[in-house]
Amino acid sequence: MTLDFALIQHELPLLLAAAVITIKITALSVGFGMAIGVFISLIRLASFKPLRWLGNIYVDFIRGTPLLVQIFLVYFALPAITGEHVDPFPAAIAACSINSGAYVAEIFRGGIQAIDKGQMEAGRSLGMSWWQTMRYIILPQAFKQIIPPLGNEFIAMLKDSSLVSVIGFEELTRRGQLIIARTYASFEIWMAVAIIYLIMTFTVARLTGLLEKRFAKK
Amino acid sequence: MNNQMIKIRGLKKSFGSLEVLKGIDLDVAEREVVVIIGPSGSGKSTLLRCINFMEIPTEGTVEFDNIPLNGDANINEVRKEIGMVFQRFNLFPHMTVLENLILAPMKVRGMKKDEAKKLAMTYLEKVGLAMKAGNYPDQLSGGQQQRVAIARALCMQPKALLFDEPTSALDPEMIKEVLDVMKHLAEEGMTMVVVTHEMGFAKEVGDRVLFVDGGYILEEGTPEQIFDHPKEERTQSFLSKIL
Repeated sequence: MTLDFALIQHELPLLLAAAVITIKITALSVGFGMAIGVFISLIRLASFKPLRWLGNIYVDFIRGTPLLVQIFLVYFALPAITGEHVDPFPAAIAACSINSGAYVAEIFRGGIQAIDKGQMEAGRSLGMSWWQTMRYIILPQAFKQIIPPLGNEFIAMLKDSSLVSVIGFEELTRRGQLIIARTYASFEIWMAVAIIYLIMTFTVARLTGLLEKRFAKK
Repeated sequence: MNNQMIKIRGLKKSFGSLEVLKGIDLDVAEREVVVIIGPSGSGKSTLLRCINFMEIPTEGTVEFDNIPLNGDANINEVRKEIGMVFQRFNLFPHMTVLENLILAPMKVRGMKKDEAKKLAMTYLEKVGLAMKAGNYPDQLSGGQQQRVAIARALCMQPKALLFDEPTSALDPEMIKEVLDVMKHLAEEGMTMVVVTHEMGFAKEVGDRVLFVDGGYILEEGTPEQIFDHPKEERTQSFLSKIL
């Protein structure tokens, strides 16, 4: 079996354009996921129990069900409930953000709990509120610790975003499928798709490493 | 002495089924230096931490400067006026010394940055560390870190300071520099409650010494009374072990 390089070269611009869409959906999802994650990790530390339960249910549900099912839920179940059609793009972003939020919440919780509890006591003893201490003392230190796991989450989402191809959203994997449907060059295209994913994840891993080093210096 | 700064009545504190404080009454007057001694596990740190509600009492009342502490409602207001110095310094490692000092005055007192910096520098000078303003805590020795921690507490211009074994985490050669700063504060009339194992400090600086054991204040008096003529057998046995 031989690879048809000319074909890959010909289809490459289409694949790369789709790769950009994959990066976009990943960045948006992890971005929203971080906002959700910080919020969820904070309510899971709250002294008010029902809030804590809510946070725990969220994290347990998301981590205990497949992303693929979550995507179907958002795309098919939501319109059934609301009576309105949901476009693949917002559905994909919503599903991935909700998913990422649960994992980021766990990452943040770990990062916050790794900070010596004397830091919270010192802040509170100076008359700062819980939230002020969180914001100025705990979270900045926690951020530094969570850069590596956050990088991993980004990489995981980069790969898992391929699942939104099932609702017809045309990111890298879906684009590959469509090209194959037209050219029948399964091997070439999947090979090219795999390599593009690899380059993206590798780049993110390196960037995370650099970021970690920069923060470690301070 | 003048007015009572700290007034504790019937204070009890339990952690789960373990009762650490079993009924404490204590008054601390303005400008008074009270030193709390006792064996480890006696409840002396817990007693200190109940004064600013770092531990919420299970029973009893704490009044600070005639204001009864009532949990979340006024705790930040009261804590502004009570500084605390910890055994392990608890400086903020991601901030410079100066940033450590100006954070709370700015965020809690609403002070302008320039004003806070000026204030911070006067207190850094006071503890002899003005030249370390731009350094990070991990670039300082333990003794220096603890002096910065004291300066940080002072920057809130508190009416009283609580010290929780401030020299216990220090190498022996650094203990004196911290005690000297504390002694200086006492001479200036700062109201202080100090939990410590430094008996020399207790004798020299304390106006009153409390011996805490088993969750009670077992004996209290002037340093002479406690160290030279202890009445209680347990006080005598404790002092014989450490002096």
